[in-house]
Amino acid sequence: MYDSSKPFIEFKNVTKTFDSFKALDNITLTIPQGCFMTLLGPSGCGKTTLMRQLAGFSEPDSGDIYIKGIRVNGLPPYKRNTPLVFQEYALFPHMTVKENITYGLKLKNTDKESVGRRFDEMLKMFNLAGMEQRFPKQLSGGQQQRVAFARALIMGQEVLLLDEPLSNLDAKLRVEVRTELRQIQRKLGITTIYVTHDQDEALSMSDLIAVMRAGKIEQVGTPWQIYFKPENRFVADFVGTVNFMDVVISGLFEDRLLINWQGSAISMNRMDYVLNPGEEASLIVRPEYISLRPAANNESADQENSLRGEILFYSFLGRFIRYWIKVKNQTFIVDDSNPSLSGAIEGEVIIALDRNKLHLLRNSKS
Amino acid sequence: MAKYLKKEKLKEIKRLGNEPLLLLTIVFIILFTSCFVIWPVVRLIALARPSEFLVLFTNSRWARSLANSLFMMVISTVSCTVTAFIFAYTITRLDVPLKRFFRFITLLPIVSPPFVVALSYILLFGVQGIITKGLFGLHVDVYGVFGLWVVQTVTFFPYAFSIIIGVMGKISTNLEYAAYNMGASRWQVFKDVFWPLCRPGVAGGVLMAAINVLTDFGNPIMIGGDLALLPTEAYMQIVGWYDMKTAAILASALMVPSFIIFILNRFWVGRRSYVTVTGKEISLTPFKPHFLVKWGLFTFCSIMSAFVLLVYGSLFIGAFTRAWGYDWSFTMANMGYVWEKFREVWNSIKYAALSSILASLLAMVLAYIVQKKSVGINKFLDFLAVLPSAVPGMFLGLGFVIAFNTPPLKLTGTGLIMVLALMFWNLPTCYSASIAGIQQIGESVEDAALNLGADSFQSFKDVILPLLRIPFLSGFVLSFLRSVTCLSVIIFIYSPRTTVGTASILGLVSNGLWGAAAAFTVVLISIAFSVLLLTNRFLRKHGGSLNL
Ligand SMILES: Nc1ncnc2c1ncn2[C@@H]1O[C@H](COP(=O)(O)OP(=O)(O)OP(=O)(O)O)[C@@H](O)[C@H]1O
Ligand SMILES: [Mg+2]
Repeated sequence: MYDSSKPFIEFKNVTKTFDSFKALDNITLTIPQGCFMTLLGPSGCGKTTLMRQLAGFSEPDSGDIYIKGIRVNGLPPYKRNTPLVFQEYALFPHMTVKENITYGLKLKNTDKESVGRRFDEMLKMFNLAGMEQRFPKQLSGGQQQRVAFARALIMGQEVLLLDEPLSNLDAKLRVEVRTELRQIQRKLGITTIYVTHDQDEALSMSDLIAVMRAGKIEQVGTPWQIYFKPENRFVADFVGTVNFMDVVISGLFEDRLLINWQGSAISMNRMDYVLNPGEEASLIVRPEYISLRPAANNESADQENSLRGEILFYSFLGRFIRYWIKVKNQTFIVDDSNPSLSGAIEGEVIIALDRNKLHLLRNSKS
Repeated sequence: MAKYLKKEKLKEIKRLGNEPLLLLTIVFIILFTSCFVIWPVVRLIALARPSEFLVLFTNSRWARSLANSLFMMVISTVSCTVTAFIFAYTITRLDVPLKRFFRFITLLPIVSPPFVVALSYILLFGVQGIITKGLFGLHVDVYGVFGLWVVQTVTFFPYAFSIIIGVMGKISTNLEYAAYNMGASRWQVFKDVFWPLCRPGVAGGVLMAAINVLTDFGNPIMIGGDLALLPTEAYMQIVGWYDMKTAAILASALMVPSFIIFILNRFWVGRRSYVTVTGKEISLTPFKPHFLVKWGLFTFCSIMSAFVLLVYGSLFIGAFTRAWGYDWSFTMANMGYVWEKFREVWNSIKYAALSSILASLLAMVLAYIVQKKSVGINKFLDFLAVLPSAVPGMFLGLGFVIAFNTPPLKLTGTGLIMVLALMFWNLPTCYSASIAGIQQIGESVEDAALNLGADSFQSFKDVILPLLRIPFLSGFVLSFLRSVTCLSVIIFIYSPRTTVGTASILGLVSNGLWGAAAAFTVVLISIAFSVLLLTNRFLRKHGGSLNL
């Protein structure tokens, strides 16, 4: 898919300050050639700002940016060859679809014949045939968005920047477009940076995800690493829903770890955690890896990793039911992905944590 | 922090090295503007030694004209603002007939030469006036403080009006309803909600009226009579005594309050007016005021409008009357006279059109750079573009006379000096039109062009320029209207060859040729008004509108 040995875009210690506010705080990030890299983070964390430094719309206060090993600091935007799809599309309102898409080629004095050929390719790729002569305001949101993609891709550059390009589409279209977009990216092998604050988008499309918070990068990793092995509480919490359990390590064995949570023993796979007995840590449990069943009258939770609790309330979401369950003095979120037709469970339940899917965070790291 | 900011700016300036064309444009603009705005101003002020400015206080005549000017400014500003507020309130908030007509009335003085009201006032109330002599057989002296006060109020309230209604029209009636909902009475709502929200507009209106009254030349020269005012005294010094230095001192005295108003407007009012712009929520129809208030205000607007109509009506009749006050028979002689002097009308149009095109072009480039480029000196360029509005027209004209009557730039008597003076006088008008237009363009549309490989020049040509057609046109038209009817700027710089309509009218009036003066004025107003109508029609077709 991508070649991790070939860095294509590199940020080195990039810092950007607005007045006294640090929008980017010493960012170092490498994007390998052909990689689909997603910048994921809450609103205002600096994703767009990072993109704008790369495209050259503004200059970092310090730090360097490299494209294909060449330092681009100070280079004006029109010499950087970094086509960007803007969040609000930024189509030229006074140009037709055709003029919009071919504008970049025209600037490069591309000959008529090849402009026509490449334009036709784009029309086909983005399903825009028949709309060549329309103006942007005569298009639907989804169509405008495809024009914006076409306008960036027709340049045939090796890199593509996307700043929340799907945020103006409705939920269904968003899912469709993201699949399509990912296929096109794979086919063309373009190094892509994709900005979003939608975790589903990030997980489903990316080769790599960089999670950002307040101008800093918290973790870079594959969707699997980000989801199952978050390196800190912020990442765990931001990507997906999570239950945090404050635990104490009670035993280290060859193949498993024994931990103590409020007097209950929990065991999990040993993996390669570096820990000491007696150390405090956070246990991370996703709601879908907790199973539940109604508790018999005076049944106690005595199977492995089982706990007895009481359902506080629930919310029915179609594909699953989300329960809020009080166990000891903590409320757990538990997803039942196979709800029964007869309705939700009520009252006392036994929940069980899946020992294979538990993840520990050393407290010093969080 | 300050040090840091400086570093940032320096970096931006250094980056300009990558864009030689942009750099060149900026350098050219700075030199050009400095040469034709700052240089004349500096020359004029530097004409007298600092100690010589003391005559403003020691010489009783100058001291009196300074006091008179300030006094007139205060009373006329108050009356202009009150009138403007009532008009704006009636038009935006009251359910009364004739609102479109009132709106039309507020447009008239803006398309007229600055002395129209004075001229007409003489026809109505002067020695041969229909009202004074014809109706009542009176002999009253209309010249002086009272007459000037009335005339300036009628002339300048529309300027204050256009600012007040801009703010008032944006105040959502929902806010008032919210207050009524909490149990406030009509008066409390007005006092606690409506008035505070209007205040920035009123403040802007006050300053607008003040600067216009203070620097007004056309009205005082016609009906000021013995009342000594700074602009007229400065004029007399030059025309009567060829005393450039005293004129410069008097004009400089005008520059001080004018600059203060400019600064206030920019840093105080300008910043505040944003506060009142509320969201786009649908406004309910305004709450009905007490009927006495409603019809009282309506009556006020009607009387005022009737007076304005009378002003323009008598001017029109005067243009076709053989000898005002003696022989009321119809004649085309006055129009014939204007026809003979067609060259002057043509000069008016020619200089106005040329200067307005140049001003709009320069303004657009400036506005583009200031808004869309980080060049390190954006604030300075912005200041440069609006600076001419701090310089009274007469002051600018006088400055041109002094600065450009010797080589290397000897321009006196040429058409070029007329065009340049009008051009820079109009720069701020065109600049604000362009700024408004550029702010309409989506934040990243231009970034998109740069991103696709267009350099600054290409993105300006392919994206900004086509999107600015309508603001460009409205800036051009406003500037054209101002120029055709302008007197103060050109009064010192026209020559027999380059004389324009307004200058001739002044001459005709001082020779008592009322009929010809009226005819000339009617022709100028007709030109201005037709241009206004045509543009409005054109703009409406293209979904824009003229912002007067
Ligand atoms: N030109 C600017 N001047 C001052 N502050 C700015 C400027 N641009 C961005 N910021 C600030 O920098 C921070 C990061 O902004 P940025 O646009 O990069 O956020 P983002 O991660 O893209 O958020 P979103 O998901 O909402 O688009 C914000 O707090 C923003 O207010
Ligand atoms: Mg953003």
